[in-house]
Amino acid sequence: MVRFVFFRLLQSLVALAILSVVVFVLARATGDPLHMILPMNASAEDYANARAYLGLDRPYLEQYASFVGRAITGDFGTSIRARRPVIELLQERLPNSLKLAAFAMGVSLAIAFPLGVMAAVRRGTGVDRAAQIVAVLGQSLPTFWVAIVLVEFVAGRLQWLPAGGADGLASYVLPGFTLGWFVVAGMMRLLRSGMLEVLDSEYVKLARLKGVAERRVVWVHALKNALIPVVTFAGIYFAILVTTAIVVETVFAWPGLGRLAYDGITSRDFPVIQAVVLVTAILVAAVNLCVDCVYALIDPRIRYGQ
Amino acid sequence: MTTTSRIILLSLLVLAGMASPAWAQTKSELTVALSSFSAETVDPALQGHNVKYYLSLMFDYLVGTTPEGQPSQAGGLASKWESSADHKRWTFHLRRGVKFHDGTEMTSEDVKFSLQRAMGKRSTTGYAGPLRTLIGDIETPAPDRVVIVTKEPTLIIPTYLSRSLSTEGIVLPKKYIEANGDDVFARKPVGTGPYKFVEQVVGSHIKMTAVDNHWRIGVPKYKNVTFRLVPEETTRIALLRRGEVDVADVSRERVKELEKDGFPIHMRKEEAVVHAWWILGPDGRTPPTNDKRVREALNLAIDRNEIAQSIFGGYAEPAAIPMGLTWAFKDVGFKVTPDMMYAYDPARAKKLLADAGLAGGFSIDVYAFQLPGFPEGKAFAEALAGYWEKIGVKSKLIPVDYPAFRKMWVDRKAPGAVGYYNIANRDWIGAYALLEKQGYTPSKLNDTVNDPEVDGMLAQVMRQTDREKINALMRNVYTRLRSEHHGVPVVFVHSPYAASKTLGKWNPGSVMYDLFLDELARK
Amino acid sequence: MSVVAIPETQAAPAPASRRQRLPLVSLSIVAAFVLVALLAPLLAPSDPYDQSLRLRFRPPVWEERGSWSYPLGTDRLGRDLLSRIIYGARVSLAAGVVTVLISSAFGAAVGLVAGYYGGRTDAALMRATDATLSFPVILLALILAVTVGPSFTNVVIAIAVILWARYARVIRGQVLTLMTLDFIAQARIAGAGAWRIITRHLLPNTLNTLVVLITLQVGYVIIVEASLSFLGAGIPPPTPAWGSMIAEGRDFVTSAWWVSFFPGLAILLVVLAFNLLGDWLRDTLDPRLRQL
Repeated sequence: MVRFVFFRLLQSLVALAILSVVVFVLARATGDPLHMILPMNASAEDYANARAYLGLDRPYLEQYASFVGRAITGDFGTSIRARRPVIELLQERLPNSLKLAAFAMGVSLAIAFPLGVMAAVRRGTGVDRAAQIVAVLGQSLPTFWVAIVLVEFVAGRLQWLPAGGADGLASYVLPGFTLGWFVVAGMMRLLRSGMLEVLDSEYVKLARLKGVAERRVVWVHALKNALIPVVTFAGIYFAILVTTAIVVETVFAWPGLGRLAYDGITSRDFPVIQAVVLVTAILVAAVNLCVDCVYALIDPRIRYGQ
Repeated sequence: MTTTSRIILLSLLVLAGMASPAWAQTKSELTVALSSFSAETVDPALQGHNVKYYLSLMFDYLVGTTPEGQPSQAGGLASKWESSADHKRWTFHLRRGVKFHDGTEMTSEDVKFSLQRAMGKRSTTGYAGPLRTLIGDIETPAPDRVVIVTKEPTLIIPTYLSRSLSTEGIVLPKKYIEANGDDVFARKPVGTGPYKFVEQVVGSHIKMTAVDNHWRIGVPKYKNVTFRLVPEETTRIALLRRGEVDVADVSRERVKELEKDGFPIHMRKEEAVVHAWWILGPDGRTPPTNDKRVREALNLAIDRNEIAQSIFGGYAEPAAIPMGLTWAFKDVGFKVTPDMMYAYDPARAKKLLADAGLAGGFSIDVYAFQLPGFPEGKAFAEALAGYWEKIGVKSKLIPVDYPAFRKMWVDRKAPGAVGYYNIANRDWIGAYALLEKQGYTPSKLNDTVNDPEVDGMLAQVMRQTDREKINALMRNVYTRLRSEHHGVPVVFVHSPYAASKTLGKWNPGSVMYDLFLDELARK
Repeated sequence: MSVVAIPETQAAPAPASRRQRLPLVSLSIVAAFVLVALLAPLLAPSDPYDQSLRLRFRPPVWEERGSWSYPLGTDRLGRDLLSRIIYGARVSLAAGVVTVLISSAFGAAVGLVAGYYGGRTDAALMRATDATLSFPVILLALILAVTVGPSFTNVVIAIAVILWARYARVIRGQVLTLMTLDFIAQARIAGAGAWRIITRHLLPNTLNTLVVLITLQVGYVIIVEASLSFLGAGIPPPTPAWGSMIAEGRDFVTSAWWVSFFPGLAILLVVLAFNLLGDWLRDTLDPRLRQL
């Protein structure tokens, strides 16, 4: 088991190294950050001064080495736009993204559970179909559209919930719902098929023969077994939620990683772009690692890629 | 009751408990929602444009400005100033007893330090360049007197150090910055303004709290002021409806909806001019826009009234002078006469093109991008392209974002292509500074005009100290820009700011990049 | 959206009654929109690029000020919404289909090669796949848009460049399982080369999975394009694409609701249909693919 973890860790590091080169090149390909921070009437001399001051005139290899060398110690450089250490910006924004993603997972599970259970128990009927459609709806509407409609009507007109910002539990509801609905379909599908499989299995047939109440069969036995794949996929969905929340963050003015990345890209802020991509990659890699380890624990066949 | 129904009921109860509309802010809080904080820095030496909205609450300027843009002896840290007869020594008399937020007293040493810092290498403010070339020395003969010695005679010093332009005139605490360094200052700024910095979350908000008593505002009416960055307009408006926000910038297209619901709209009239121009080639204008008739034709093809009414919802006026700014016209006595207004005359435009040998039309690239304060950017570009298509000019829309366009413009890699900007209105000194960068061949990078006659006139303005001569020169510059069609001035736009119903009276003023929100705090 | 291929637990064979009838509704919706896309020039009443500022924000025909010359109303530049939606079917469907075909072809190729050769090839390819999978699609599209400018091609490239990794992962997992089966060993003994085994034996057995994935991903691409338009990195105006039409109309949800509503309805119907179709295909072709 230890060997497995060790190798997976090594693999993740290699992937991250590849990614660091890619993102370094991509970030610099976006253009010149100086156009954004220098005023419209800056002269060529102003540009040269600023470039030297910010270390942007060093050879690329040196910039890359500096970037990687410092990243290992957690120093992602200084934001060109904000002139503050990127690590501080990350510290401000990452928790917000994690919290929103966690809440969205909760919402998603809260919706997927009843839908999945109902669909499995009433398999093949209209209820099953309806549940499927409700779940899939979340993936069939553009996220920003759902978000804006919710803001306009639920927050603006009906005034039931806050429209934006990250203040207090109530402000999590609309963005969390918008984000969570997107992954409900996948979760519900897993639950449904997981439950169907279990409900058909020998184990449950035996329980029924023994006279266990149907309710107990469904809620205790079947659900318990169907949960395992859902729980492991929840981890992956969580990583996806963190990394794709940019649209929700924009509409709800949620100060998270997605918006930080967007601002970084539009202002050609290389250190920020590099840092956000690396951090999300690390997050995704970490989650994948955990999931793979959990699976390896459950099923030894996977330990060596078989 | 089934488990499922129990869960649903419980969730509804929890939601109901959490949802409580935030009633209109208690008088002690003022919240402002803006679509952009531009560079978002709280250090005045780092980009001085859009950020004045919140900087003007935490800091004071050497020279004050009234909301109408006139220098004010009551509004700045200098209660009076005068120049020597040769206009090379400017003496500023400072107020006594003004304290920084950290308790230290403001003296001439702080003014000297701040000015040197604003002109230093690290500074990226708008007018640092001209100040660097002009200012020779800064003397501090007394704690309440600063003398600025310039290399050439000039009139511009008080205005350049005032609230009406950028942030070079902001006075910062020398001891605090020298002791703690620029980085700490950028995270915990200290000034002399009516509000003290509390916290900033980049990309989210800036919070500040009132000082006990301010020399200009008195006891501030609002205990706390928060600026929130809310990029999506629907959300800003929802926040306004919910009473979570007292002031929000809104787009012109949603003004009617808000007025119908009773929200007061404060218009900053002619806040900016939407001006389009052709990118120059490495040596100046390239065919076909080097032909004056073509430039005139492209101007005549546009229906400015229709654009003003439709794209800008009626909150715009046709503009006539390339790079012309009405607040500057007032200062220099320039009158826009009816014959200067471009008529909507596609027939004449086509004839002009034929005269120039282009009866078959030609191709032009139009860059399309959004800008802060100008959400209609892309629609505007599409409209321009549409008008030009109708006179046989094949217009290709190239969507970019502003930094990408800026690069094309400054690198001169796309000669003849069209770009635009919503140029903030400003007084004559600011207008001159704009022309000196965007209409002056020796300034290289940003030039959009390349006209030796204009160059000559602008060069003289800098050296003049006679107001009458300056005014005459500026008038001639504008006349020439118009007669040579050195650009496509389209409309002046009014900018709406929606306020909550309980905000009360507010004059956002007509000063570039400033909303005079601190005046709201005056009891 | 799977990353890990789960080996199968003991599943009972699917009882015949579990197979649903043909999803007629989904199929007809997809077919209808494909037809609309193909016949756009014949069906659209006006030129989707024809702008007229005086006619901007006119409501649909059944409201006051509506007219049959623009049955579903006009947008912010006075263009006929119905025509733009009809031509938009071409653009949006093309974006979805082209992106998915490119990424599935490349991804399947990578997965097949990795699974077949195993060892170092597999390790190297999978590292590249991992690196790709952890790069957020939207950020890459934004970077591309900001570097080279948004365009149809860039949207396709940005999404395909990341999407292929998902196919690669899943197909590789399948191939690994297939490789343990007897018929592969037999083919090897019979002297079949790599190319033959991959194309004759492995690929056909992964086709089911590919078909399911492709169907499901078309809708995903259309939705991502919409999000990209919202952020300014999608298919740019004046090209009519449903996503950018919704994004353009988003500030007028109450005042000119039709500008976003009708393209939104189009996306909803098409993507819903593709998703349901994909679900049905999965249930029919290979219920074991529950992790997709």
